Amino acid sequence: MGKRSKGSILQKEQSLAYKLLIPTLVVLGLVAIFPLGQVVVTSFTNREFAGEQETKFIGFNNYAQLLGVTVKELPPEIDDDTGEVVKDPETGETEYERSIMVLPRKPNRYKELFQYNWFGKRYVVGARDKEFLIAVGNTILFTILSVFFETVIGLFLALVVNSNFKGKGVMRTTMLIPWAVITVVSARIWEWMLEPGSSGFFNMLMYRMGLSDGQASFLTNSALQMPTMVAVDVWKTAPYMALLLLAGLQTIPKELYEASDVDGASKVRQFFTITLPLLKPALAVALIFRTLDALRVFDIFQVLMSSKMYSMASYNYFQLIQNRDMGLSSAIGVIIFIIIAIFAVIYIKSFGVDEE
Amino acid sequence: MTRTQRRKLKKVLFWIVIVVVFVYLVFPFYWALNSSLKTEDQLMMTPATFIPRDTEGNFAPTLQNYKGALSDPTFIRSIWNSTVVGFTTTALALIVGSFSAFALGKLRFKGKKPTLYLILSMTMFPQVTVLSGLYAVITALNLHPILSMILSYMIFTLPFTTWVLTTFFKKLPIELMQSAQVDGATPFQTFYHILLPLTAPALVTTGLLAFIAAWNEYLFALTFTSIAPQSRTIPVAISLFSGSIARQEPFGEIMAGAIIVTIPVVLLVLFFQRKIVAGLTAGAVKG
Amino acid sequence: MSKKILLTVVLVAVLAVVSIAQETITVAAGAVGIELELAKKAAREFESIFPGVEVKVLDTPDMATDRLGLYLQFFEAESSKVDVYQIDVIWPGDLAQHFVDLYKYGGHDYAPNHFQPIIENNTVDGELIAIPWFTDAPVLYYRTDLLEEYGFDGPPQTWDELEHMAKVVTEGEKKDNPDFWGFVFQGNAYEGLTCDALEWIASNDGGKIINSDKEITIANENAADILKKVRGWIGTIAPEGVLTFDEEASRKVWQGGNALFMRNWPYAYKLSQSDDSAVKGKFDVTTLPRGKGTSSATLGGWQLAVSKYSKNPALAAQVAFFFANYKHQKERAIEASYNPTIKTLYQDPEVLEAVPFFGTLYDVFTNAVARPSTASAPNYNEVSTLFFKAVHKIISGESNDPMGTLEELALDIAEVTGFEPVFE
Repeated sequence: MGKRSKGSILQKEQSLAYKLLIPTLVVLGLVAIFPLGQVVVTSFTNREFAGEQETKFIGFNNYAQLLGVTVKELPPEIDDDTGEVVKDPETGETEYERSIMVLPRKPNRYKELFQYNWFGKRYVVGARDKEFLIAVGNTILFTILSVFFETVIGLFLALVVNSNFKGKGVMRTTMLIPWAVITVVSARIWEWMLEPGSSGFFNMLMYRMGLSDGQASFLTNSALQMPTMVAVDVWKTAPYMALLLLAGLQTIPKELYEASDVDGASKVRQFFTITLPLLKPALAVALIFRTLDALRVFDIFQVLMSSKMYSMASYNYFQLIQNRDMGLSSAIGVIIFIIIAIFAVIYIKSFGVDEE
Repeated sequence: MTRTQRRKLKKVLFWIVIVVVFVYLVFPFYWALNSSLKTEDQLMMTPATFIPRDTEGNFAPTLQNYKGALSDPTFIRSIWNSTVVGFTTTALALIVGSFSAFALGKLRFKGKKPTLYLILSMTMFPQVTVLSGLYAVITALNLHPILSMILSYMIFTLPFTTWVLTTFFKKLPIELMQSAQVDGATPFQTFYHILLPLTAPALVTTGLLAFIAAWNEYLFALTFTSIAPQSRTIPVAISLFSGSIARQEPFGEIMAGAIIVTIPVVLLVLFFQRKIVAGLTAGAVKG
Repeated sequence: MSKKILLTVVLVAVLAVVSIAQETITVAAGAVGIELELAKKAAREFESIFPGVEVKVLDTPDMATDRLGLYLQFFEAESSKVDVYQIDVIWPGDLAQHFVDLYKYGGHDYAPNHFQPIIENNTVDGELIAIPWFTDAPVLYYRTDLLEEYGFDGPPQTWDELEHMAKVVTEGEKKDNPDFWGFVFQGNAYEGLTCDALEWIASNDGGKIINSDKEITIANENAADILKKVRGWIGTIAPEGVLTFDEEASRKVWQGGNALFMRNWPYAYKLSQSDDSAVKGKFDVTTLPRGKGTSSATLGGWQLAVSKYSKNPALAAQVAFFFANYKHQKERAIEASYNPTIKTLYQDPEVLEAVPFFGTLYDVFTNAVARPSTASAPNYNEVSTLFFKAVHKIISGESNDPMGTLEELALDIAEVTGFEPVFE
């Protein structure tokens, strides 16, 4: 045995590896290449969905339309008669011009996104596609909140089921229930529970407990919209997390805990010194996929929020169906892809998942 | 606070958390069950009731929703369709995925990182974006709806199974492979006989998650089976339940349909998880 | 010689087989309940008259966006799998390119029987895109028992009257029933809100969004005023939740006995008279109230169109005409209170017996206000989306400057359509 055989073992490994990978790449190539290719190409055109209009290449116009932002200074309102700055009579604060006066209109219209103060001056940030940017913001916020809660609850569930807790069988069954309910139906169930009017569960509860008159409208109250969506999503996804983490927990040898018990370490210490480090790879993969899924959220936003609050994916859908702008919605798809890719890379690098 | 007092407090807190989580997870299902036993009238009652009641307040559940759901041939058929699509997708994703995972997790070759990223990138597009392109392909190739669903679901299940299994394969000690090679086993034999059984929990888990993803998928299924009612899967069939009058949403029936489908799944999974995982891990440890 | 005979025989045999072979026409129509049942019934009848033809009825999602989404997928793929499509009254302009001209397949025999405004709505560039199937125009449902109890003489004529009556009754009823509200309508951000809002605005002399000169007139004081008024109703005479209501959600509140007034389409009439309805026998319908102008009801309804990509458009057209003929429209009217589009049916005694208000409210149906679908074709959907979003912002209080929002809306619509906005 010498260098030559070592080389040939390596070569054999490599060729085996390629052979093993072929099925995956073939399947994905078959199914994914055309649709994804089409999306990228279409994003540079003005193609209409199911339309007769001639498709033309318009370069990066769609992207410019989606991402175009501008910042303009907002001058204070000057009273025409006195020539002085107008101030609000109650608060004494300066009143500013309406942003519609300042934001550019031709050749492209910018709509107000938000205003802010900077060194005593007021600025307005305008965007060409305000709704898209708001959808992106909402989706990212949703993702952060949802992934956080589902990880915490999922981890809790996994630990409980993996331990010697008396009720673990019950918890294991409980955990499977949201997971087994069909997603679109679960969105409906929650919609029904959130019904404004006391035929809805939450309103009924608040009414019976005397907290309110039972007429709260959860889905239109801007303060309650995001928490509601997160609660609905976490209900379905915490079990996913739990199952993935449970599999990870089950590969940690019990002997490690036993040895640590002998050493007198507390449960909490064990969690941080044994469990967490050994769970890291499983946790990392789980987080990556759950985050990717959360960024792509569609079903619950379409059913519960429709045009009231968009996620990136539901905005994409509505652009395609209601405005039939296939070029624009393809560009949205590509931008979503890039955003997701950024998140994925950050995760992978921080967790070191792609290292040997 | 004394030590025993603190311990008691911890225990109480723990139990509170357990109960809260339990209620959170179970209650919507209970509410669905409750609603499925109500008539449309009872569903419109204000305030809502925890158990089906008639106008006098007596316990009055009805089975009409279940009868309605079960007498819908599309719904019954859809259970079969979903099962076929689910199992086939899962099997394919696990087999093909585990091959790739073995390569990516244990073998040495060039281009590992790019391959990993390439596979992952498939799941980075929202389904909505890919939909019309996929539909065009399906129509052009005139694929059967069931086949088109199975293939399309590969887009999100295959990367998932590959990545998760890769992690688990990586974790397995290299010594196992080396000792097997010394014994004269080919890499594939090592993979099949030794490494695969050790990743049993991962296989079962990813299999379950892949199955459920295929089981729940709505958008692709709706589009691909729109002209083929006999190929519809459960999410599509339930959503298209027809009530007795137009614009009327047969909410009770939809709930009944959901319950009919959920309970066997939960029972099956409980059975599988206990038996398979216990059996395989026990074997691996002994071996 | 024998070869030729053999070839001829084979050819004849093949032709014979082909002609005996079944033609299949697929109709995408109806989603739920009786709508679907009646469609299937009509299909069976057609099959019995024309053996050798199979008529399949395909159920499609009830949510309009989902249904449209599905249709668009078919058109994009130029699929021949569906021959006849049930389309909304607002779609002919946008989707005309995908349908055949029914005048080429015998449409001239049928068109004159239907209401002319609808036929005009369905005609794009001189081509008849779709045959009307049923029309729809909303009415005001009101509780006769409650109005009597609180001493009112009859239903309100103006929005102010409605507001007043609703306030009085709601205050009274809420003491026992916190779920009671004065007025329920469709306030969710969807096409239904376009209908409701168009009624408010048009009845207050606020125009119809786009006028006949293709100018965008929505940014005017009357429109802003009536929308401010509606904003005031939320939480006082209408529940907060009305901002999430579609037709079904409002009907649920009404049919449960928890509303004094409801604005809805006629389909709810039959349902409200069913045995397990809490309002059976306690209500009636009338024209919608008006503001400064005249009472306005938005034109709704569905049509049947034949796909350009169909393999047998002539046969498909026959199926469409069959489904929309006198007999079937009558059936739909009696069994499900669907408004026919054939004029003479409104004098048919059996129809009037089943749905009396078809006679009394005839004028409403013939004078319904059309949404600007023809004017803004092929971008009606986009225009409507901009409109209902802006309205939703105003009535939900998200915008506290209605006029400003309407001005922005006008600019938005101008961007999409290329028309000139008119500001007051």
